[in-house]
Amino acid sequence: MVVKLEEAVVVINMKKLTFIFVLFSVLNAFAQTQESDSLNTYKKRVLESTEIDFLMSYYNQEGDHAAVSGGIGSEKLIDITPTFVISVPLNSDDVLTVDAGISAYSSASSSNIDPFDSKDPANPYNESSGASMSDVWVNGNFGYSHSSDDRNQIIGANLSVASEFDYFSIGAGVNYTRLFNKKNTEVSVKANVFLDTWNPQYPIELREGFSNPDIVGPGVYNPFKFSEFDKLGRNSYSLSLSFSQILSKNLQASVFVDFVLQDGLLSTPHQRVYFQDQPDFFIDYFQLADDVERLPDSRFKVPIGTRINYFINERFTLRTYYRFYFDDWGVISNTINLELPFKITDKFTIYPIYRYYTQTAADYFAPYEMHTSTEEFYTSDYDLSQFHSNQLGFGFNYTDIFTSFNIWKLGLKSFDFRYGNYNRSDGLTANIFSVGFKFLLD
Amino acid sequence: MKSILILALIALTLSSCVSVQEYDKINLSDPEMELAAKKIERFETNFQLYREGSSGANGGKTGGGCGCN
Repeated sequence: MVVKLEEAVVVINMKKLTFIFVLFSVLNAFAQTQESDSLNTYKKRVLESTEIDFLMSYYNQEGDHAAVSGGIGSEKLIDITPTFVISVPLNSDDVLTVDAGISAYSSASSSNIDPFDSKDPANPYNESSGASMSDVWVNGNFGYSHSSDDRNQIIGANLSVASEFDYFSIGAGVNYTRLFNKKNTEVSVKANVFLDTWNPQYPIELREGFSNPDIVGPGVYNPFKFSEFDKLGRNSYSLSLSFSQILSKNLQASVFVDFVLQDGLLSTPHQRVYFQDQPDFFIDYFQLADDVERLPDSRFKVPIGTRINYFINERFTLRTYYRFYFDDWGVISNTINLELPFKITDKFTIYPIYRYYTQTAADYFAPYEMHTSTEEFYTSDYDLSQFHSNQLGFGFNYTDIFTSFNIWKLGLKSFDFRYGNYNRSDGLTANIFSVGFKFLLD
Repeated sequence: MKSILILALIALTLSSCVSVQEYDKINLSDPEMELAAKKIERFETNFQLYREGSSGANGGKTGGGCGCN
């Protein structure tokens, strides 16, 4: 069974790689055509020189509602994400962008897929020290954009690939932007598709052949609801529309809406669920799963957002963001984000950040041991519970348009730092530190 | 909430005849005035995508590419 699943995943991945190759060939041919069209006229380049961004973040979180152990247990997680973004001007009109990064993480969630591979007694509030405790997510995104001679039209396309131990994804997208009214008004449309495949890592006690002499409970452990998922694909389709408008010399705003349809395996195969009407079995202090979460195989999401930015004076700018979101799983959310950049000098800017978020619970959520085995859909993932969160932080920016600090042929154009402290009303806390360096290539 | 959005849309529509000349756009060209998330915000957007039940309408991913919903 496992061998067949692996073969199926390999075949699907080969088809996706072929799809990527064909798309790249088409884009490459299009880029060469555009280059020959613009050789004979002088225009200001869309991008003057190659830009290289090095970005990195450090993220940690703590909480006591881990989805991998059915809504109880440690949510401890540490994540480090070095990323490069390289933008290369192909000619006056065309820009190629390569965005590649990794996310190296260590988490109690992944370690407790198999909580029994450690010398210490299994406990959902401790992360197992076994082989499953850490992994790497790798991501690559390749984008191309072409601007018209009058710079009033921009078309673009992108391809993306991402992989981690239980997930593989490829994506593709196209976008079109039109400016008019003397570049005071901008309308954009973007379409994306992601074709993803799970390599499910079920909780160890639900896997075929699992046995352990230390199981404690009334009678024989029999998770009768559990069966492996037969469809391992997840597809996401999104259409994004945006409208931006300059409202005065100091004020501009935009409104954007996404329509997102997901279908396929939307459950996370390693997230346990415990039923209140089934007997409880343990190994050490760790309760064995009654099943994994079961969610519908489609989801339709509609986020609507707006940004309004106001140039108060030479020192202060106000950046605002608001989003209303709803989906057909019953989640309704509101998000507000405020930033107030303050220019200390012409090169240095600092800004405080505040973000408030609130959501209703998904129809299929219930806490630990609150679901019953007669339900069709269930999850104890607190990311789908009702909560609100506050995020406080600050940012710092240094910009030197003359790139006076150089390393080899790279001139430092800007440096950014951001910090955020996140508190969710269910007790989850997180801290995130981000840094970014932008270099220009001579 | 819906009424706020409708009002915002009406305000934007009515103001679409506003035309600021290129030479008057110096304040609007300030990097802090950009109507998009900053590049360095991507990591925050990513963890929020995992830790919250909603996503999108911010230039970030709307789904796919990770095991998150």
